[in-house]
Amino acid sequence: MGYPKEQVEELKRYCQKLNAVTEDGVTYLYLEGLRLPTRCQPVECDALLCPEPKDGYPSRLYFSSQIQGAYTRNWNVSNARIVERNWFAFSWRVEMANPTLPQLLIAHLSGFAKER
Amino acid sequence: MNSDRYSRQSFLGADSQDLISKCTIAVVGLGGGGSHVVQQLAHIGFQRYVIYDYDVVEESNLNRLVGATLSDSLAETPKLHLAKMTIFGLQREARVRGFSCKWQENPEPLRECQIVIGCVDSYKARQELEIACRRYLIHYIDIGMDVHSKDQLVIGGQVILSSPSSLCMKCMGFLTDETLAREAAQYGNAGERPQVVWPNGVLASTAVGLAVDLVTNWTRSDRLHAWLVYNGNENTVKESHTLRNRQTTSCPHFSDADVGDPVLREL
Amino acid sequence: MSIQFKLTGALYREIMRDLERPHRFAAERVGFVSGRMGSLSAGGKLVLVTRYHCIPDDCYIDDPDVGARVNSEAITRAMHAVYHGRSLREGIFHVHLHQHHGEPVPSKTDWREIPKIMPGFQAVGRQAAHGMILLSADHAVAWVWLPGGEPTISDSISVIGIPIRVFERKALQ
Repeated sequence: MGYPKEQVEELKRYCQKLNAVTEDGVTYLYLEGLRLPTRCQPVECDALLCPEPKDGYPSRLYFSSQIQGAYTRNWNVSNARIVERNWFAFSWRVEMANPTLPQLLIAHLSGFAKER
Repeated sequence: MNSDRYSRQSFLGADSQDLISKCTIAVVGLGGGGSHVVQQLAHIGFQRYVIYDYDVVEESNLNRLVGATLSDSLAETPKLHLAKMTIFGLQREARVRGFSCKWQENPEPLRECQIVIGCVDSYKARQELEIACRRYLIHYIDIGMDVHSKDQLVIGGQVILSSPSSLCMKCMGFLTDETLAREAAQYGNAGERPQVVWPNGVLASTAVGLAVDLVTNWTRSDRLHAWLVYNGNENTVKESHTLRNRQTTSCPHFSDADVGDPVLREL
Repeated sequence: MSIQFKLTGALYREIMRDLERPHRFAAERVGFVSGRMGSLSAGGKLVLVTRYHCIPDDCYIDDPDVGARVNSEAITRAMHAVYHGRSLREGIFHVHLHQHHGEPVPSKTDWREIPKIMPGFQAVGRQAAHGMILLSADHAVAWVWLPGGEPTISDSISVIGIPIRVFERKALQ
């Protein structure tokens, strides 16, 4: 799957390294060293951005560990096995019409900043 | 190997015990289904095991956990320990690698296996096991049971065989994006699912039968995929209608690129 | 360190069928397979064989002193396979068949000729494992050149088909 170059370049600003990886017909963006919003512990981690429908969500952002943020979140994915690593995700539905990849990432990360 | 001990299963083939003894088999989940499976594998003569379960025996398990006693529930015996005792009680020289954790927390031992029998309790867990098995070229056998109600209570279950280069659970129509999404939406609300010993026994026995056939091919069926549906009300185990009506002959969901450790493509 | 191989039953049959075919003048056939790595516990390695590369008849050289000799085009094709498989860390393994039962043992010719082609594969696919697989009618063994390593013999080769076959080194049994 090809991503628009400008979106890929913008996405790279949020992490140390950006990769793509495919499993079971789904392509994920693998963000190594994603910088997390303020008041998050740890301050950075690896993440998997799935821009297509998964697990009943229109898109999903998985983290390499459970993150402590300003607000309590429902971590409804724990130790999900994807590309031979274990991932965590909290329940956060992002409904956007045709978001760019950076917009999608920011929308998911806003789950740490908003009380909802 | 004592030839008398296995004389009654010599119909499996002249070299069947040798083949069985060389096979490394994993059982993921040592509860109601897995405890049956382990017992049967040990009886048959499997020598090499990789087994996973992090749970302990509780009183509510005693209606179905093969090998568990009241003392085990009082002592909170790890299910892993119970399984090891079952195996070693029958196969003193067995090589058993047991892990008191989720397989995802220690996945490497699974990769050495030729067969994995999954006795897990969610579609997601099944999907993850199947992906791992496809990645590391392992036959995957899945069992599961449930009690559900439509107009009346129905005991149902399945035994599935998914082998590399053959149809997968999605091809067969067992795993769908809808079932996975529905299950994800119910997370935390699954509750205690009904479980009883005799359907587990039927399903475990069928799974072990498939495993023995994979190792010996005694039926000469050359079967590399299967979806057998158990109806506990009618006491039948039959090929799934869904599978029988499928036109798929090859698997589009897994390719060569999905084999081996994942490789990241830097963007 | 444990090294294990796996391949599907379908691929194993494809390889055997091709290697058992008679050649116009060569006493035996050879081929190549692509193999991808997986990690095992305690630093062990798993080589997953994914594809067979048949060597066309006209790539053989008529040399009565050896069972089979292939020309540079055959080697180039193998190098191409390594090149195209680099992103997947896919290496190449020379494969041939000894016509007997039991655990095969490399001949003097095998040890003299096959290691010569390894440096070329390693130069193209530095992150992959390369090597050779030796088959017999009912057994198999492999030697692996891991990245930066000396050749190491495999502990087992498993054919994941029906029936499952596990070819183990005698020393381990």
